[in-house]
Amino acid sequence: MNYTAKDLMMPFSEYATIPEGSTLFEAVLALENTKIEHGGAFYSHWMVLVMGKDGKVLGKLSQLDILRALAPRDKFTDKLDEMGKFGFSSNFISTMREQYRMQKTSLESGLMLSALIHLYPEEYQTHKSSLEEFYAQPGTLNMKVEDFMKTIAENEFVDENTSLDTAAHMMFMKNRLSLLVTREDRFIGVLRLSDVFSAVLNTMKEAVSEEKAI
Amino acid sequence: MREIEKLYDRIIQRVNINLRELEFDVNPYAQKIIPFVQMVKFYAFYGISPHHPLNFQFRNSNLAGSYFLGRCKVVNSLLYKSDIRGDELKKQGSLFLYQDYAIPVSEDEEIDIQDSLLIKTLVHNYSHDPETLEKFFITDTISMNYANIHGSPSNGCFLGAFATVDLTTIRDCVIGNFSYVQAGEISHLNIEPGTIWVRNPGKFNFFYQHQKEKMQDYIYFTAGSPPQGLFMDFIEDRKEAFQRIFDMVNMEHAIPVPNNASLDRFAVTKGQTHIGENVLVAQRAFIQNSWLGKGSNAQENCFIINSRLEGCNVTAHGTKICEADLGRHVFVGFNSFLRGRPDARLQIGADSIIMPHTIIDSREPLTIPAGHLVWGMIKTPKDLDTNSLSIEKFEAINSHTAIGGLFFEGSGAEFILTFRDRIEHILQANGAFFNGSDQKGHAQKNQYISFNTIQPYPEGMKKGLFPTIIIEP
Repeated sequence: MNYTAKDLMMPFSEYATIPEGSTLFEAVLALENTKIEHGGAFYSHWMVLVMGKDGKVLGKLSQLDILRALAPRDKFTDKLDEMGKFGFSSNFISTMREQYRMQKTSLESGLMLSALIHLYPEEYQTHKSSLEEFYAQPGTLNMKVEDFMKTIAENEFVDENTSLDTAAHMMFMKNRLSLLVTREDRFIGVLRLSDVFSAVLNTMKEAVSEEKAI
Repeated sequence: MREIEKLYDRIIQRVNINLRELEFDVNPYAQKIIPFVQMVKFYAFYGISPHHPLNFQFRNSNLAGSYFLGRCKVVNSLLYKSDIRGDELKKQGSLFLYQDYAIPVSEDEEIDIQDSLLIKTLVHNYSHDPETLEKFFITDTISMNYANIHGSPSNGCFLGAFATVDLTTIRDCVIGNFSYVQAGEISHLNIEPGTIWVRNPGKFNFFYQHQKEKMQDYIYFTAGSPPQGLFMDFIEDRKEAFQRIFDMVNMEHAIPVPNNASLDRFAVTKGQTHIGENVLVAQRAFIQNSWLGKGSNAQENCFIINSRLEGCNVTAHGTKICEADLGRHVFVGFNSFLRGRPDARLQIGADSIIMPHTIIDSREPLTIPAGHLVWGMIKTPKDLDTNSLSIEKFEAINSHTAIGGLFFEGSGAEFILTFRDRIEHILQANGAFFNGSDQKGHAQKNQYISFNTIQPYPEGMKKGLFPTIIIEP
């Protein structure tokens, strides 16, 4: 079958959305409450769309974006993250980060706390800081979605009549997990990686069985 | 507008274009310290010697107070009191070793400076980039007071005050004040002030950053004002001694110099100073009441005051050592500032390595045991706990560590070995091991240099620019 984007997409009406101005906590709840039925099966969305007051899509928010927003960070963790560009390995950076987290939680002196005191003495806190404490802070819960959502890039839109192979090409070339499907200038649905993958798989299986039949 | 001002605008524009991605504007840094008045007054000078190639080309440039040796080309550039020292450039026919390659050098290497502004900058060594063996280029680059461009081709970069790039090709980068970078090849990076970064991919990575507030006491330089701080005051206080030696045509050494040692005629010596055998004292070095033991060297912009260096000591470009006793074979890296006090001397044991851009400034007596690696900022003996480690322990690191503000990944043994090899090479190149017939180095070869001066247009639209000058053997 010659699939097109509109055959495979999830219609906009079924997709999870939240209005602009929502908080991080509302976004977490929106993602949690989006078990929907599609094609006879139940799915959890891994992404919500952030809608502007004019009804246009402003951005998208994935589980990854929320994890990123919820990651405890300070000047020191930013410094550790930055060390990648100076050629330090990912393994080194995560080891240092983990040591820092442990020492901050226990306040037991260690190499990372001593590095923090060296670089940013003003950031050092004398009380233990747990992850739970950080999650429950009003500053964390009330972050606005606009501050950590991803805006939609031009190459994330795909016309409804785009063929399966072109849509697949767009996804693997740009490492996209989803594309927004449009009809003329209007947004009508979301084409997800899982939909494209299933369609490719089906087409392949059909082709193999036809080959055998001949 | 005079030609020299047009040239300044042109350089600023070119560098800014290169740094647009980093959103860095060089003009506010340069415009306050560009000394147009002095630039039209000072002569430039070049060395003639039987040991170095002689080939200079100067076009549409100002070269005030700058010094040239070897093979250099300067086009559309402003060089103020800079040293372009081409006595380690590669020779035609030599082989450049890189990884498994031995690449023949097809012609004598040249330092090629174009569209650049260098203020009180030292350019030395040779291009370590295997892609540009015969040309050590510095293009579209601005470097501020007491920066070192050492074996580092540069395109489209800004180097802050007291910044050093060493054996690294840099493109479109900002190197912050008092930062030291030795990383092979970098591009599009904005290196924060006070960063010391030594990387050999796959082998080791050494990364330290000075604490911003503490460092600013020593060097503070931001857009819109000239560099300030203790380093600048220290140099300013001793500036007068240099004026006399630059004003005089013929200078006789005030102290005895062995016939296998070299004391540059543009260096200052004061008080009871001893120059040992095979010692090299480069131009713009300042030695006062100090003992330089056999095979030691003091490079450009060094200050050694009331100190004793036992022998085979490397004092790299821009280092300051006061009220200190250094054992044999101590290496002090670029721009380090080591200051004891008359009643609280600083003692550094033999075979220690003081990393580039280290500050040791103690009011209490401070002793660094023999065989230690030292980095960062040390103001009390306690600071040694987080800013030094015995070389033996450092060699044992085989994955990673963090000590104080230092992050290290890789092999400590490789790191130390690389430094040891480099120190031996520096001592050899400087003639520390000369035995009367073999192993001549700069200490022996640089004795035979005479100097010629060249002058800019004194008036008119070209006031301050030097005429096109080509000097060949």
